Amino acid sequence: MPTLETEVLVVGGGSTGAGVARDAAMRGFATILVERGDLATGTTGRFHGLLHSGGRYAVKDPVAARECVVENPILRRTAADCIEDTGGLFVSTRWDDPGFGDDFLRGCQATGIPVEEVPVAEVLRREPRLDQGITRAFAVPDANLDPWKLVSACTRSATEYGARILPYHRVLGLEVSDDKVVGARVHNEVAGDELEIRAELVINAAGAWAGQIANLAGCVVTVLPGKGIMIAMNHRLVNTVINRCKPPSDGDIIVPIRTVSVIGTTDVRVADPDELEVTPGEIDEMLDEGEKLVPGFREARALRVWAGARPLYTPDDVTDTRDVSRTHTVLDHAKRDGVEGFITITGGKTTTFRLMAEHAVDTACEKLGVNRRCRTHEEPLPGSEEERFYWLGARVRAQEPVPNSEEIICECELITRRQLTEAIARGRPAGLDDVRRRVRLAMGPCQGGFCIYRATGILHEFEHLDHQAANSALLDFLQERWKGVQPILHGDQLRQARLDDWIFQGLLAVEHLPE
Amino acid sequence: MTDARPRLADVGYDTVVIGAGLAGLTAALRLAEAGQRVAILAKGVGATHLAPPTIDVLGYANGPVDSPAQALPEFAAANPEHPYRQLSIELVRASLDWFKARLGDHGYRGGLDENFFVPTALGVAKPTALLPETMAAGDLREGGRFVFVGLRGLKDFFPAYLADNVAQTPLPGRASVTTRVVELAPPLGEARDVSSAGFARRFEQPAFRESVLTELRRNLVPGEIVGFPAVLGIGGAREVWRELETRLGHPVFEVPTLPPSVPGIRVYDTMTSALRRQGARLVIGSTVAGAETGNGRLEGVVAHTAGRPLTYRARSFVLATGGFASAGLELDSSGTVREPVFDLPVAGLPGQNAPLFEPGYFDEHALSRAGVAVDESRRPVDDEGAPVYENLHAAGATLAGAVPWREASGNGLSLASGYAAASAILEVIS
Amino acid sequence: MTEFVRDSLDHCVKCTICESFCPYSQATPLFPGPKYVGPQAERFRRTGVSPDISVDYCSGCGICTQVCPQGVKIAEINSQARAQLWEERGIPLRNQLIARPSVLGRLGTPVAPLANWTLRNRVLRRIGERALGIHRDAALPRFAGRTFQRWARKHVSPAAERTVVYFHACGTNYYEPSVGQMTVEVLEHNGFHVVVPPQDCCGLPLQSNGNFPAARAYVRRLAANLAPYAREGCAIVSNSTSCGLMLKREAREILDVEDEDVAVVSEAMYDLCEFLFLLHERGELRTDFAPLELTVPYHAPCQQQGHGIGKPALDLFALVPGLQAIELDADCCGIAGTYGLKKEKYEISMTVGERLFSQLRESNGDVAACDSETCRWQIEHGAGIHAVHPIEVLHRAYGLGH
Repeated sequence: MPTLETEVLVVGGGSTGAGVARDAAMRGFATILVERGDLATGTTGRFHGLLHSGGRYAVKDPVAARECVVENPILRRTAADCIEDTGGLFVSTRWDDPGFGDDFLRGCQATGIPVEEVPVAEVLRREPRLDQGITRAFAVPDANLDPWKLVSACTRSATEYGARILPYHRVLGLEVSDDKVVGARVHNEVAGDELEIRAELVINAAGAWAGQIANLAGCVVTVLPGKGIMIAMNHRLVNTVINRCKPPSDGDIIVPIRTVSVIGTTDVRVADPDELEVTPGEIDEMLDEGEKLVPGFREARALRVWAGARPLYTPDDVTDTRDVSRTHTVLDHAKRDGVEGFITITGGKTTTFRLMAEHAVDTACEKLGVNRRCRTHEEPLPGSEEERFYWLGARVRAQEPVPNSEEIICECELITRRQLTEAIARGRPAGLDDVRRRVRLAMGPCQGGFCIYRATGILHEFEHLDHQAANSALLDFLQERWKGVQPILHGDQLRQARLDDWIFQGLLAVEHLPE
Repeated sequence: MTDARPRLADVGYDTVVIGAGLAGLTAALRLAEAGQRVAILAKGVGATHLAPPTIDVLGYANGPVDSPAQALPEFAAANPEHPYRQLSIELVRASLDWFKARLGDHGYRGGLDENFFVPTALGVAKPTALLPETMAAGDLREGGRFVFVGLRGLKDFFPAYLADNVAQTPLPGRASVTTRVVELAPPLGEARDVSSAGFARRFEQPAFRESVLTELRRNLVPGEIVGFPAVLGIGGAREVWRELETRLGHPVFEVPTLPPSVPGIRVYDTMTSALRRQGARLVIGSTVAGAETGNGRLEGVVAHTAGRPLTYRARSFVLATGGFASAGLELDSSGTVREPVFDLPVAGLPGQNAPLFEPGYFDEHALSRAGVAVDESRRPVDDEGAPVYENLHAAGATLAGAVPWREASGNGLSLASGYAAASAILEVIS
Repeated sequence: MTEFVRDSLDHCVKCTICESFCPYSQATPLFPGPKYVGPQAERFRRTGVSPDISVDYCSGCGICTQVCPQGVKIAEINSQARAQLWEERGIPLRNQLIARPSVLGRLGTPVAPLANWTLRNRVLRRIGERALGIHRDAALPRFAGRTFQRWARKHVSPAAERTVVYFHACGTNYYEPSVGQMTVEVLEHNGFHVVVPPQDCCGLPLQSNGNFPAARAYVRRLAANLAPYAREGCAIVSNSTSCGLMLKREAREILDVEDEDVAVVSEAMYDLCEFLFLLHERGELRTDFAPLELTVPYHAPCQQQGHGIGKPALDLFALVPGLQAIELDADCCGIAGTYGLKKEKYEISMTVGERLFSQLRESNGDVAACDSETCRWQIEHGAGIHAVHPIEVLHRAYGLGH
């Protein structure tokens, strides 16, 4: 079995793992990251994209709120390219207790969240679609955060500092010798072979899956996956993050991110983070709650629905996952379980991913007996050096002033042929779904109806695929897309899906592709 | 001051057809040819601009269909709710003959007795009953050596991928097919991204054709059959295609691309100019949103105009607004299915709370066959089977019972049912 | 609840039908097409900074909206995006100037001979092109030297049982007063007492040049003048098909004008041929047409098609014995109001118009008919065939000629 040697092995390629790998590499550790699928495909790539101001936690979870207060400005500085500075509002609708506004204000002030009450008339001018019956509104520095760009920038930086990033490598087992974790046996999911990675320290950053990884070393870590569903609406119904000003509950936030608005979310304790079923009732609830914030929401076009699993770590038994603090925990299994060379970082949220990484690597330094300072709060991520926020119009502007000078493959999200082939080349082998996350291929209204034939043709040519490989890339993508679209199919999106059926099944006869 | 405004603005026709896809155009043209004063009201241009120009009558029924004429009786028997159950083979055949005659300039070939097998842009050999002469040489049944031509700047056609699949496609009679690809870089000026329609307009320019011919000629081997993306001109397609065949000295055929469908545009242009010549009124951009009824009859339909509603009165009406893709049928967020123009009963729905869709993309989805059920006179019926209005007929993808995109029966059903709706109307009058 | 034109982008299924029809994206690579700048680019826009200037190459002809089978208000989205763009950048002097026909009319009318000479002087036009950006060859109308309003003030419309209000718009007033006279005479011939209220520009050219605030002010003022008649139940008739459409729909949809006067005028507004045809459908149009042995190719301009009423001019022509009308199917003449006047867009405009021009030339018509004044000027310029409003043909057939 081929063997790799490293100082730090990070398990998990979400924002936490990517953050840990970068931090560790920046502090000079030889680092390898393994992820069972593509990067950011667990919880990170399945959240609504909110960069918290802390407002959501101001009343109920002051510890988490304070962490957000610290991290929000740091990310604005170091990850500007992944952030659009939309600002956020907490609004009291006619369904909400107007008195909560005062609790909210007090909570913000106590935890240091910059907050300002805004006259309702001004808010309605700024966001004309909001329900005219809102009674109070508070502005906070919420923003949106593109999880794929964030993880991609972290792993790029980590690579520049010498780390190796290995997506599609699943951990089969942890090697434990004399009560010490000395490495892991991993399976290359693409090539199909196994490999051994020997490490001085294994950092379990598997998020909602952290319990499963800890188990491999015989440790019991209770992570309660909290299922949250999200629906992407076709365009910017609002341009500011809109939160309901009330205690956290289902469907209380709309995040405008990239070209869409995402409504979220639910919180249901589930047994297995890989089994996240979206029920019609949950969708209905989201749409109803959306309607309270933005009248007409039910008739607006829903593109896609998905569910993510929050990693809620709890030392005790808790029944309502929403009562679990959203702060994070670093577990040194030597102290806790008598297993050396193994730490787990879990809980938390993407907004505090950098802090989580910092704490995890601080612990790693301690364990490895070195003292190296964290610099991730100072050094900008690749692409964010100029501290310029992402701008929604960028892809349109890039085609000006001479349109038609490049082939646009995905027209909804304005992805050129060059961007597509670069995304394919960025991490091989790439399926169409990986390319989707890398450049937002097929994430717009037509959900691939027009671009996936093109993208498959380009993949076939660029990667010299045979007909079988190209055909299965196409068919896999169609199934993957159907999974996200099918539960919310109605109205405009059903029209699109039916046109796409005419294209794929009627025009192209995709069902009858040769073996 | 007296009221001078024609308050209840209305106009009168013999028949009003709602929808300008193949079904609506067919019904309208037949009626106009029979001397009727016809108005076609359409929210926009129909699926002719999107779909291939082939008339697929029945392509798949438990596998590819070699002969629609032979397969149809059994297919109809096995699918009692299918529109083909009510459309006799004679009627389908008559509609094909009618269409071939109207589209004379397109040189349509084929019929009900055997399907052609022509490559899709993915390289699947797809069965179809009728095709324009510009596609005929693409019939794979006899085998042959095929060359697929790529045009740089056309992102809706990938000849290499297509050719790989064609080479692997099982063909009836085990015909042997070899494929290869020639990529051309025709002169596009500044443009890098040109649609199928853009290429079609360029192909109508002699200089552009010349450069394609020059580059292609030196890349061909005698005996090869040359497949182009379907972009060989719009109005002048016949001349473009003939010139390519003659000057290359090879059979040339077109492969339908992703929308826009250039050969579909040709069909629309031909049918609408025939309608104009017959004096029919084609109002594109007019949404019908209501009806005036009385004594079980439809008296008029109310269309949006820029200023106010306008009522179109007629003796007969044809509903040809299409299926879910064109909002001829709608499903709202609470799961209710509607036919939005007349609120007709929708047939073919699963029971309450039964799921409309299955988890697998290629599963049979309950919603697929939803639509309007009709009687022998092509009139939409209620749950009891009684016509909703005496003088309203329906045609095309609005009809219940079919999964046309899967069966490869879309244009065949539209043509036959549009033709049949016109027959029913003409019968009543005579 | 406020309706947003932008919301209609949700209906877009990317089907490409608008692109297949757009005559402008076919004529220039500078315009990436209605789907691109409309429902597509709109998802990337938010208030603040416009990402694209190519939207300015949309002519606003509206063909995309008409052919869209899904109900996307494509041209309207583009129009609003263009206004946003020019709000940020400041509207160029040229666009301010050509967008105010009534101001130009008031300036040019008293000095018509001089003004007409100036507008046709090659040297001055070259200077005008350089200084103002108005293309030297672009078709500009001639000042009539007398206004239609002046004629109307002197004209006594005979008392009749039925009254109709006539909205003649700027083109008739300053350039084609005779069309106004013919309109009045045809209406009177059909038993109407014709009222011509004082009226100014409807704001359409300002709207299409991206100056929404000024356009709103104009259309509100005009609607306020016309609204009392509409409230009394009078029909308002216009021979200017594009200005009529402005009052019917565009003020509400594109400019977002929520105004009682505009709403009531919108409902009372009829395009001239629409009005006459509806009268005919009620059996109330006089059909005492004398035979007219003419071949008349008819071009339904884009804005006329925007009314959503078919082509009533053709139905009216069919009533005239001997008249042979030819329905042309070219989509756009290329002028799009003021688009084709602009230096950087003139060539595009002529390329767009070429299909129509050649159909007109091949038709061997005696005279072309078209409902829009700017399109008629473009047709005469591009095809070299005399072009008239359909009312002129009917006027002659009624034997009302002077």
